[in-house]
Amino acid sequence: MKLLVIEDEAGLRESIEEYFTEEGNICESAFNFGSAMAKVNLYRYDCIVLDITLPDGSGLDILKHLKLEQHTDGILIISAKNSLDDRLNGLDLGADDYLTKPFHLSELRARVAAIVRRKSFDGNNHLRFNEIDIELSAKEVKINAQTIKLTPKEYALLLYFLANKGKVVSKSAIAEHLWGDNVDTADNFDFIYSHIKNLRKKMTEVGGNDYIQATYGMGYKFNTA
Amino acid sequence: MKLLTRYNRSTIAITTAIMLVAAIAYYFAITAVLSRQVDKALEVEEHEVHDYAKLNGTLPHVFSTNHQAIIFTRVNSAIERKFADTVYRDLKDEELEPARALYTWVKVQGKQYRVVVVQSKVENEDLVKVIFLITLGLIAALLAALFFLNRIILSNIWKPFYKILEQVKAFNLADKRSIKTVPSDIDEFKELDSAVSLMADRVEDDYHALKAFTENASHELMTPISVINSKLDTFLQTGEFSKAQSKLLTDMYASVTKLTRLNKSMLLLAKIENGLITDKREINLKTLIEDSLDHFEDLIAGREIVIERLLDDKTMKVSLLLMEVLIGNLISNALRHNVPGGFISIELNHLKLHVSNSGNPEVLDMTNMFRRFKKAASSEGSGLGLTISRQICDMYGFNLDYVNLNSVHHFIVTFAPGVS
Repeated sequence: MKLLVIEDEAGLRESIEEYFTEEGNICESAFNFGSAMAKVNLYRYDCIVLDITLPDGSGLDILKHLKLEQHTDGILIISAKNSLDDRLNGLDLGADDYLTKPFHLSELRARVAAIVRRKSFDGNNHLRFNEIDIELSAKEVKINAQTIKLTPKEYALLLYFLANKGKVVSKSAIAEHLWGDNVDTADNFDFIYSHIKNLRKKMTEVGGNDYIQATYGMGYKFNTA
Repeated sequence: MKLLTRYNRSTIAITTAIMLVAAIAYYFAITAVLSRQVDKALEVEEHEVHDYAKLNGTLPHVFSTNHQAIIFTRVNSAIERKFADTVYRDLKDEELEPARALYTWVKVQGKQYRVVVVQSKVENEDLVKVIFLITLGLIAALLAALFFLNRIILSNIWKPFYKILEQVKAFNLADKRSIKTVPSDIDEFKELDSAVSLMADRVEDDYHALKAFTENASHELMTPISVINSKLDTFLQTGEFSKAQSKLLTDMYASVTKLTRLNKSMLLLAKIENGLITDKREINLKTLIEDSLDHFEDLIAGREIVIERLLDDKTMKVSLLLMEVLIGNLISNALRHNVPGGFISIELNHLKLHVSNSGNPEVLDMTNMFRRFKKAASSEGSGLGLTISRQICDMYGFNLDYVNLNSVHHFIVTFAPGVS
């Protein structure tokens, strides 16, 4: 997966780069409008993470430029402006998704993964990992060719973990992913625990590996090794 | 007390007092003048009697008329000459009338006679009466005129004042109507008008500056918060943590989440107050409520709370975001302040949305609950939820009411008739 992060805030840009850089991923970055335009004109990416407010221009103009040139790079807008206008504007202009700052890196990664998935598998929408085979359009999960029935939240959790393989995902991030930010997270930690317990049980019952592990009481990790 | 009443009261009291004193003085003056005139007439009669006696040596013949009589009586000693008030018997109807008498004497051929000249004062009395009545009538007319004049003049002159007052009363920072100037040719009102306008403008400027500041501040805060958040996420990947370290990290996560939510709420509030949320679309509240309940499913089940729903279809043209926030706030409040095993009842019809929940018996304080950062000591919320809900309701002209009946808390949103 080849990724471009266009973000002027150094702290955030470095974090995103670091989180995404791993075997099989290339993550590049641009810190302003000029360097971003230079990059998008030279290279193609699976997904571009695009900040709208840049010091020397608007991210929306980069988006417009890409669409004008008919490039098919996936685009995820990140913005501190949580206004519906911006969101609709961005999506109308052809962005694939919109994420409001602040966000958890695991959430960003899940969104990026979803965009890349949509871009690369047209029609035949399967996500495979070892013995796990997910048919995304039908939301059907098979392990060792055996279908397991998951609740919507368990299904969302599984996709979330698969997008963040090998990463420790905090409980706050999981709670926000499952319930949005309207719900008191502390109340939900117990529910996360029971959802994950059920998910693990359903997967191991049909002979799947027990991938998900609790880590130091703060979060969970989908172990690939 | 109204200005007009106060003004009328004093002017009319003073006018009445002066008029009364004047009337009394007038009465006495006229009476005195008329009395003197009668006395003069009596003296003329006396002279005539004296002249006649001197000339003819006999007493004159007298005829009693309707208002005058002269009576002669033989006396031995001299009597004192004096005027006196007396009564007079009318010849015709035999009525006693007030009269004036002159007691004097006359000497005819060495004989002493007492002379009493009496003149009726009835005509004078009538005159006084008429004058008095006219005066009274005048007083009444004057008072009435004063009363109505005051009323007309006052309400005309003070019209600009009442207009300004009305505008000040209706002044609301949230809606954009500013105070219009009220023209007047009275200096005091001109001054008042410009002072009020100036004050309103200044208040409005300050308010907008403050709102803009809140919005910008919340906005600017989002970037550092998102950096902290991403650094925490990154830090989490760095390796093994001890129990104490992971406790610290968990607490940091919790605080950052709280900070984020608080900041988002402040930003949303500032946006609503600045009128920046203008999108409108057809929204089915019933669907929205059901989605929201699904969202809270785990929490509801976890606390064994029973949901009663009585939902009619209700669509209105409003902002989706704001309606989601409003419904989310009401339901999450009903959940947060509930008791395990309690209930939440949600009723929606074309008139209102009614969310009630079981909870603590304490009655919430109506005046404080919609204020910023006012919350129960036990509440985990940001303290902005109800303020935002109130703002959203205000924006669409809805009413948001709270009632507590037998430890059941009711929140009722009454929809505006216009928005449907």
